[in-house]
Amino acid sequence: MDLKFDNRTPVYLQLIDYFKQVITSEEMALGEELPSRRELASRLKINPNTVQRAFKEMEETGLIVTERNLPSKVTSDKQIIKQLREELINDAVDELIETVQSVNVPLEDLLQLVKQKYQ
Amino acid sequence: MIEVKHIQKKFGRKTVLKDISFHAKEGHITCLIGINGSGKTTILKSIMNLMSVNRGEILIDGHQFTEAMYEKVAYVPDVLTMPLHMKIKDVFQFMRDFYKSWNDQRADELLTFFKLDKNERLKNLSKGNLAKANMLFGLALDVDYILLDEPFSGIDMFSREQIANVFTTDLVEGRGVILTTHEIHDIEYLIDEVVLLNNGFVVNQFNVEQMREEQGKSIVDVMREVLV
Repeated sequence: MDLKFDNRTPVYLQLIDYFKQVITSEEMALGEELPSRRELASRLKINPNTVQRAFKEMEETGLIVTERNLPSKVTSDKQIIKQLREELINDAVDELIETVQSVNVPLEDLLQLVKQKYQ
Repeated sequence: MIEVKHIQKKFGRKTVLKDISFHAKEGHITCLIGINGSGKTTILKSIMNLMSVNRGEILIDGHQFTEAMYEKVAYVPDVLTMPLHMKIKDVFQFMRDFYKSWNDQRADELLTFFKLDKNERLKNLSKGNLAKANMLFGLALDVDYILLDEPFSGIDMFSREQIANVFTTDLVEGRGVILTTHEIHDIEYLIDEVVLLNNGFVVNQFNVEQMREEQGKSIVDVMREVLV
């Protein structure tokens, strides 16, 4: 688990982004158990309260599921993962468009370049 | 919660603490940051009632300091105060005799965590291991609050890392910690609250995650604004 934090962005959000990424990329499988909060805090050298907050948010959005006294697990709901994938792709495309629009790249050129580089 | 309310402290004509107010919650790590001579140690000693203040008051869970608080709040000074010819296990005995809150089981867990040998004499420990032992004697007390004075100063980076790691374990979790430092690099992602001190005043108290979220600033960004 290699995670470098940026000290100007809330750590709990960076942790959520990390999990979104490993879940959508299927590095973590549906229903897979997450490390315990304390283990994560210890491994990443971050505040256990911060990990707790990230878990709480992920539970609220349904990304992870925690049953009483059991380790948290990645959701088994494919719909949630699908939605997350769409969100992630959308955000990435929005960001790309914003960047290239600021330097006035025509759509055709952009598409061509994307096709060329995508392989 | 530990509440420090408008305390003032003079040494002779010099007013070291002019008007200091802040609070530290249970389950949170609160970090007092200030340059050398900004009165960090004086604040910790005042909380422990080892030093009287000229003005203001300090409340621990809503109460003023009494003798019984020494079982509720632990203070780890920056330099170990035990006689150096003692072995670690002798200090354990010493602490057991003095404090009802001494927890032998936790002490052993901490020994393992810090990889210390209880048959070792204090005078034979390296500086880093001495700092770890010092911290161990405080953390092994079953207290609600732990005050740590400069736990990272003057020791090598691996020892610093090991000491920082203890904050992510159940050996500390759930208790209130107040620590002082002038170097936040090792603990940037570990602390909940920051209290910035300058010239005898608290110039800012903030929650670190909230500061990142609402203003996109790191601890050092805020320090630079108010201290430089």
